Amino acid sequence: MIFVGLLGVKADARANDHFEIVTNPNVSEVALSANSLRSIFSMSLKTWPNGTKIRVFVLSDDDQLHKAVSKGKLNVFPYQLRSTWDRLVFSGTGQAPVRVNSIEEMLDKVANTPGAIGYLWRANINENVNVLQIK
Amino acid sequence: MKMLTCSRLNSYFGNPSKWVAKGVILLFVIGNVSAQAQESPTQKQSELIRPRSERLRSTDLLAQATETEVSSVTEKTGLVSTAMQWLRSTDRPGDLQFHGFVSQAYITTSDNDVFGNSDKGGSFGLTEAGFNASVRPLPRLQLSAQVLSRRAGEGNSGEPRLDYAIFDYQLYAHEANQFGIRVGRLKNPFGFYNETRDVAFTRPSILLPQSIYFDRTRNLGLSSDSVQLYGDTAVVDWGTFSAQFGITLPVVGDKDTESSLLGDVRKGHLNREISYIGRGIFETNDKRLRLGISGIWLNTSYDPNNRLNDPLGPGALQFTPVIFSAQYNAERWTLTSEYAIRPFDYNNGFRTPPAPRGLNGIDIVGESYYFQGEYRFTPKWEGIVRYDALFTDRSDRDGSEFAKISGGISHTRFAKDITVGLRWNVTPAFMLRAEYHYVNGTAWLSRLDNPSPLDTEQHWHLYGILGSYRF
Repeated sequence: MIFVGLLGVKADARANDHFEIVTNPNVSEVALSANSLRSIFSMSLKTWPNGTKIRVFVLSDDDQLHKAVSKGKLNVFPYQLRSTWDRLVFSGTGQAPVRVNSIEEMLDKVANTPGAIGYLWRANINENVNVLQIK
Repeated sequence: MKMLTCSRLNSYFGNPSKWVAKGVILLFVIGNVSAQAQESPTQKQSELIRPRSERLRSTDLLAQATETEVSSVTEKTGLVSTAMQWLRSTDRPGDLQFHGFVSQAYITTSDNDVFGNSDKGGSFGLTEAGFNASVRPLPRLQLSAQVLSRRAGEGNSGEPRLDYAIFDYQLYAHEANQFGIRVGRLKNPFGFYNETRDVAFTRPSILLPQSIYFDRTRNLGLSSDSVQLYGDTAVVDWGTFSAQFGITLPVVGDKDTESSLLGDVRKGHLNREISYIGRGIFETNDKRLRLGISGIWLNTSYDPNNRLNDPLGPGALQFTPVIFSAQYNAERWTLTSEYAIRPFDYNNGFRTPPAPRGLNGIDIVGESYYFQGEYRFTPKWEGIVRYDALFTDRSDRDGSEFAKISGGISHTRFAKDITVGLRWNVTPAFMLRAEYHYVNGTAWLSRLDNPSPLDTEQHWHLYGILGSYRF
């Protein structure tokens, strides 16, 4: 019982600030405004300032990290992002982000796809991705 | 593998839509070409990036190779799952994406027919399926197309039709500000739900509020051939204002639209004339509050068929609805309301007696609104409650004037619908829904499904269940 309680507390603490927005190393941006970040994850801002494609990677809607990033960094609920993406996809006015199935796949995709942006727990970040500061 | 899928597509959609499949193949080709096109701006910027993009190409190939291996293994478990696997995978050149859905509803009514013979033991008359492809050959260019099949009562046979085919170029982009142009067959942007009304996952209930999203004039409202300008702009620190404005040729060729606008299926046909559509939506940064206003200026005229002794003359009509929309999203609940004012204006060219007996000089203003609450009990279970009201003529809300002057039936002039429903998200890709409607009035019933107003009941009940799969 106590063990379960402790796990809960740990998950909460982890959810707060133990993650970062990461990009492919070829993205020259080091910092981004919160508005730009939201536009990117809403799939309306499609290019980096130098004109190259932004490629957005996300985990599934009910993933712990996805929820933490939605609420903590983007300040929206996962269901709102989902309905924004669905509107774009099924009206033909935009695309959905690419869904990855695991943290490992997220790291791999962001590290190897030019223009990629995604998110990772700090513990999983390595030198193959850049960490983006959000102003 | 690509060839295989294309041919599978082709046979799936059958002969009438061969050209649509060709369009999808074309998207493919563009997607492949774009993989090369994508390289050029990167090359221009710096030589340093070059080795990296080459590295990507090799990893891309690797990924494709593994993908093929994976699918050849899963081939044994079944063709369908392999196809789904392939459609879901995302490592394609030009950011090519595929999405789609299939929904089947069962509807039963106490009286009156909705999507088939629903009052005699119910019917599986509503089937919806869609498949779309999109590609970004250049960072700012997106091409997308969707084929839609809808089987719903007399008005929709299920024959696949081109729902949208869009060329979208973003002319300007800086932070939250964007500006661009779209050309092709576009979904009409009005209200919150119109553009995605056929996708069960994106609408709040099996039947959208019929006062605003009429299913019987859906083809008219759904998409049109147009040129559209769009833009997003940040409003201080509060949120984003998004606007779309289009010049369109409406789709008026189907029987349901004809009988709705002209009172019956006529011998001649409606013409497509230049029309206008626009919408602005303000959304706060946290997407909690959304406020919208949409307007349509629809023009159409009637060409009588004189060889068949058409009693109608060459009249013209204008339909100019304005819709106000508001929504508030909290973590657990969402409140939505929309209000529409819908002026109809017919000229005197129809050679009929003056309104309300004939079409000549009809000049009425309809009114619609709904209030809707959705509650997410858990991520898997959602409930909905809605009150929806439609008045064909806002100056004659109970239809009594209409009945007195024209001898028609008063309850065909209004509809007040109380809806309760439940949604179960079984998996992220599969959803089940059940709902109940108590309706007072028949104003939004399809005239093709209910040809004689005398046979309709004023007070009626509707029960529906729906299953929907998406990818």
